Amino acid sequence: MAKKNVKRPREVKKPPVRIMVNGAWHEFERGRDLEPETTLSFLLREKLGYTGLKVSCDEGACGACTVLLDGRAVLSCMKLAVQADGHEILTIEGLPEDDPVIRAFADQCEPGYGTALQCGFCTPGFVMTAKGLLNENPKPTLAEIKEGLSGNICRCGCYAGIARAVQHASEDTVPEGEKK
Amino acid sequence: MTPPRPYTPRVPRKFIGAYRPRIDAIEKASGKVQFVDDITLKSRFPGMLYAKVLRSPYAHARIKSLDASKAEQLPGVKAVLTCKDPEVSSLKPTSAGWTDGVDTVSYDRMMWRHFRDRRVLGDHACWATDEVGAVVAAETEQIAEEALRLIKVEWEVLPFVLDPIEAMKPGAPVIHPEIAPRNILPKDPVGGADIFVDKGNAEKGFAEADAVVEAKSVHHNATQSSLDNWCCLVDWKSDKLTVLSNSYEADQSRMHISQMLGLPLNKVRVISSYVGGQFGRGDTGDQPFFLFTALLSKKSGRPVKFRHSRRESFHDSRQPAIYTGKVGAKKDGTITSMYFKGIGNSGAYADHTMFAMKFAPTEITEVALAHIPNVRMETYGVYTNKLPACMMRGVGNSQFNLIFGHVVDMLAEKLGMDPIDLALKNFGHEWGGLPDKSLTVVLGEGAKRIGWKEKRHKPGKGPVFDRTKKRGVGFSFHPAWHAEWQEARRGEIRIRLTVNPDCSVVLDAPTVETGTGSNTCNVLGCAEALAFLGISAEDIVWPHTVDTETSLKDCVQTDSAVSYLQSEVVARAALEVKKLILEKATGLLKAKPEDLDILDGRVFRKAAPGKSMAVKDVFMKGDMLPVVVEMGREPNAERTGVPYIANFAEVEVDTATGRVQVLKLVVLNDCGTVMYASGAEAQQIGGQVTGVGEALTEEIIYDEITGVPLNFNWLDYKIPTMADMPEIDPALLEVWRGAGEYGACGIGEGTVTCTPRAVLNAIYNAIGVRIDEIPVKPEKVLKALGKA
Repeated sequence: MAKKNVKRPREVKKPPVRIMVNGAWHEFERGRDLEPETTLSFLLREKLGYTGLKVSCDEGACGACTVLLDGRAVLSCMKLAVQADGHEILTIEGLPEDDPVIRAFADQCEPGYGTALQCGFCTPGFVMTAKGLLNENPKPTLAEIKEGLSGNICRCGCYAGIARAVQHASEDTVPEGEKK
Repeated sequence: MTPPRPYTPRVPRKFIGAYRPRIDAIEKASGKVQFVDDITLKSRFPGMLYAKVLRSPYAHARIKSLDASKAEQLPGVKAVLTCKDPEVSSLKPTSAGWTDGVDTVSYDRMMWRHFRDRRVLGDHACWATDEVGAVVAAETEQIAEEALRLIKVEWEVLPFVLDPIEAMKPGAPVIHPEIAPRNILPKDPVGGADIFVDKGNAEKGFAEADAVVEAKSVHHNATQSSLDNWCCLVDWKSDKLTVLSNSYEADQSRMHISQMLGLPLNKVRVISSYVGGQFGRGDTGDQPFFLFTALLSKKSGRPVKFRHSRRESFHDSRQPAIYTGKVGAKKDGTITSMYFKGIGNSGAYADHTMFAMKFAPTEITEVALAHIPNVRMETYGVYTNKLPACMMRGVGNSQFNLIFGHVVDMLAEKLGMDPIDLALKNFGHEWGGLPDKSLTVVLGEGAKRIGWKEKRHKPGKGPVFDRTKKRGVGFSFHPAWHAEWQEARRGEIRIRLTVNPDCSVVLDAPTVETGTGSNTCNVLGCAEALAFLGISAEDIVWPHTVDTETSLKDCVQTDSAVSYLQSEVVARAALEVKKLILEKATGLLKAKPEDLDILDGRVFRKAAPGKSMAVKDVFMKGDMLPVVVEMGREPNAERTGVPYIANFAEVEVDTATGRVQVLKLVVLNDCGTVMYASGAEAQQIGGQVTGVGEALTEEIIYDEITGVPLNFNWLDYKIPTMADMPEIDPALLEVWRGAGEYGACGIGEGTVTCTPRAVLNAIYNAIGVRIDEIPVKPEKVLKALGKA
């Protein structure tokens, strides 16, 4: 929220905020490209056009805005853009289409579990949360998947299909440390 | 965990009924799908402004005066409109009746035209957060919010009422005196009299009964909670208005905007593509914000975007219902009489209250209570100062099921019968005998899968787990309501098939894609119907954008029926495609069309099937023109009755804490024909998130002192997450058969319907005490057990 009348102490001009997004560094001049209160989700969507992540609740309750910050899943609506200064952000646009998690979400149709997506609005958030989970725990149990993905809401209710997709993805995922 | 049991199709088909990914699976899984909020970025619409609307801080108030001059002077503000401006105040009063539930209507033909209780940006706030008084458009959302704070409003704060029973009492605050002087909605030509079903003689029926039970059930206003918050962009340049939105009824939105703003239909262009969940939200394409956003665009000369925050998206809800029910039966279980009385809290505006309270129960009377000799139903819709109630996944069915399944369970107990036997003895549709074949299979399969015989015990008399936990099983069942004959009032469903010279296909079957899976059903239906071309589903393109300027009229995404309605038309259009291809082939194969046939993509003479020509060659060696067939068809009105649906639940109740945990749900749908198995299972499983949420955790809470809702957010309004959901066993069945090529029936909405009652009956079986009200939060359990 803009607070126009708050006086900021005079200070030496700070260097621009540098954030690596999907492998490329971006520079943002403070006061022009972003304000102290600019959220990471706003910066990524509205300034850079990475619309895969969604802002649905804007208060950390639904997980739709999840991205990876240095490999860990974070809620981009709950992070200030300046907090990402010097860090690496990965949005769903940064994943290859043959990413095992994306493929597993798309392919899930195993009888008894339904599909892993319906309207698809929450899906990028779930995919990125699952990426973060698998980075930390490449072979999660079903209970660990449920716990790990319980910060995300899917109102279409594809939880069974999503859990199945993450299980399948974990079978195909090479743990971070073993990558070339 | 039980291993999954895939269904076996009654008629094996090549594409229909498949377990396979959705057609949009990869676009959605990779985040490439663009929703309206993604499309309407400022970078794409450089001059775009953002609109914000003033909201009432009071549950009931009137604007005495309003001064927006300071807001107008704020830098970055480009347009301000208030209720005093003639372009706003001259707008006709309206209601949410801009559809008959399934199709486009005009202002004169809209439903509930006797309840035109909504003013667009009026001066009368009927619930806390009502959109009233003023709206601003500014360069950023922050500036627009700041401008709203600069508007000086003098409010006349009025007394308010939240409870419908209180609202009916003399002396209660009256919300819309001109429509309902005592807050009770008058009877309406569409909804019928207050006593809207009166078959036989209910009183006499009770007098003849050996056993009578009476019960109450209370269903609350859960909210749809689509993740994709309402959003639109309106660009009104010179005489033409273009709307991008996540409305799910493009044609209806166009009619609404055209008639409310006085523009010809061809000067209003409505474009909808992917929508992030619908579930009945804003069920009519009538949202007033389309109109004030349009007026802001006209005034500023710029495209204007209006979007709800999540908190503002708590804007529509399920119609709450307080039901009392009474049922009487002979000793052998033959029901002699049923009586139901409903009180529906409309909230601030009538919307579709009477649709939920009357239409759904009337339909149930036809298709489930046809063999009960005496049935009486009466209902009252009541205005209060709460969030308006609307449609949500199954109109009034969930609410009615909550009382229906209640009295069935109670009566069975009183008669010492198994409720399954009681149900089979009494319920069926008017064109079929008893026991109903569909209901027999649905309940039999459910009983088997939940372990009914082994797990059902006398109420509260089961074993105790971990010292304080008790388990129970229960079920509820309901007639489905999306057979083809029930869709007759939609009128013609129109599609267009284009077969290109290379045999690739474009299927124009417009409907707004809200996630239901109807798009995949229809592509499978198209592949099935055009199988003679030797094509697969991947050879078919389904345009996902509905654009009223270029598309055929969209088939409204309601009643879970689009999945088969369009496929039924496609099946017929495909016959015409074949005919036209054969005509093209006559010259090349030197034969009359009737002597030719097509199989696996090759045309041949029936007399000499060995010699054939590829269909592609027929095009390529001929005129190279695509074959285009546009066809419309009204839904088949043949009265086939309906199939049944049911849910069986197993729960565990912690008698020390009051916490209820659902251990397992079996979801049963007799589909007629399964159009797309993975999609149907996704609906069955997915619906349980809403069903379990409504039953146990979701609830809008008001501050009784101020009338202000307290939890319009997902931190305090608890939607079940993955960790909260039990094992779900989806059972797809094909017993009943409807009319047409496939004889299918919609299933999506109904997957939610039986869940709360199944859970409540299971809770009763576990603890032996009945709880009448959902959501069943721990304090209600403890209270029922006498512990709180």
